[in-house]
Amino acid sequence: MMKFKLLLLLAVLPLSMLLLSCTSGKEKPYKVSRIAMDTLVSITVYARSEEKAEKAMDNAFKELNRLSDLLNFFSETSEVALINRSAGVSPVKVSKETFEVIEKALSVAEDTGGAFDITIGAVSSLWDFHKKTLPDPELLKKSLKSVGYKNIVLDKEHSTVYLKKKGMKIDLGAIAKGYGADKAVAVLKNNGIRSGLVSVAGDIKTFGAKPDGSSWRIGIKNPRPQSEGEELIAVLSLGNNAVSTSGDYERFFIKDGIRYHHILDPSTGYPASGCRSVSIITKEGVYTDAFSTAVFILGSERGMEVMRKIGLEGMIIDDEGNISTTEGMKGAVELVRKH
Amino acid sequence: MRLNSSGSTKTTFADKLVLLFFIALSLSSFFFVNEVLPQGSEVRIEVAGELKYTLPLSDDRIISVEGPMGTTIIEVKNKRVRVVKSPCPNKICLHQDWIERGAVVCLPNKVLVTITGPQQKKEIDGITG
Repeated sequence: MMKFKLLLLLAVLPLSMLLLSCTSGKEKPYKVSRIAMDTLVSITVYARSEEKAEKAMDNAFKELNRLSDLLNFFSETSEVALINRSAGVSPVKVSKETFEVIEKALSVAEDTGGAFDITIGAVSSLWDFHKKTLPDPELLKKSLKSVGYKNIVLDKEHSTVYLKKKGMKIDLGAIAKGYGADKAVAVLKNNGIRSGLVSVAGDIKTFGAKPDGSSWRIGIKNPRPQSEGEELIAVLSLGNNAVSTSGDYERFFIKDGIRYHHILDPSTGYPASGCRSVSIITKEGVYTDAFSTAVFILGSERGMEVMRKIGLEGMIIDDEGNISTTEGMKGAVELVRKH
Repeated sequence: MRLNSSGSTKTTFADKLVLLFFIALSLSSFFFVNEVLPQGSEVRIEVAGELKYTLPLSDDRIISVEGPMGTTIIEVKNKRVRVVKSPCPNKICLHQDWIERGAVVCLPNKVLVTITGPQQKKEIDGITG
């Protein structure tokens, strides 16, 4: 009898010890959403204590607010506004962050034959998607002359940016949020967080695996939901990566049966046609953000070519609802709805 | 336990170990239960980065908060949340209608309403698009 009890103990004691060890020191998820960079930002981290999680997330939000002060197109005191006011007048000395974003934006412009162009600012400021009115065609044509990334002069040694032509305006709206996600993740890591997710309005960067070893599950929005419960079209498994999606459903209005959305083609000044949504996956958010816009503008066919050439993974939903994915995406993406 | 010749019981070493095991098990189950049982989902309402209310999602009610532009009215009903009235110009928060998870945000009036709750294994961690 005693032998039996001892055996029983030997069998179950490790189990209870395991339960104790699993639960008391386990990392738990903490999630905070706040308004930052003029949009909704959500941060999730796994940490052993609430204090550690909150401190890390607070510092990440501080970093996003600092970047927003530098990069915001709509703020008169940002470095971007200063660069735009000095167009055709003089170079402007900027922070290393502003310089880095512009430098990376120019590399994407080169890689995409100018489909991605931050000098779209002069044209984008003519569009008002809330008032649902089209810009004056003459004014648009005139402003289009101020668009051209080749007229941006960067001086790395002096950390200056110069827009050659008067009236030129840079708008970092299609790259800054992804850059922000990268920087926020760097802050979380510096604060000792080993696993987390930063989402800046849908520009998402993840790092580390969850404590149970599973990867992050990211939903891709359905561009044309017909009813409630059709919010997502696919679910993506993500490890140490970033993902961004550009869609024609984010800011738009429909006039005379035509959908006018916010992704403007720098060659025409009008919304790009050919895609409903483009999702890009790669290591850095700064590139997923910029390339999702660029590929959207290029359209399904040319977009896929660029993705293959550069080695980006992604998914394109064209204007008829056909879904194309790159080879590397297969297996990581689970379609939850037919389109 | 072992019955001795006089019929009384005597605690053996194994009995003590059994007792120890049950203490350990009850302690561990306390942590374990805390870990796996779902906690109630909550609605958090923040204005200009400041937390104003934390409410259970299961209680239906209507709440007003003051933002820089005026009053935003929020409704909690049937475990869903929506903005009913907002002084903002574009009414994007109103058009978002009922949400069961995630957040409704009104940038002009700096109002943020989020639903927080226990994460399920298969739940989505983020949404892109």
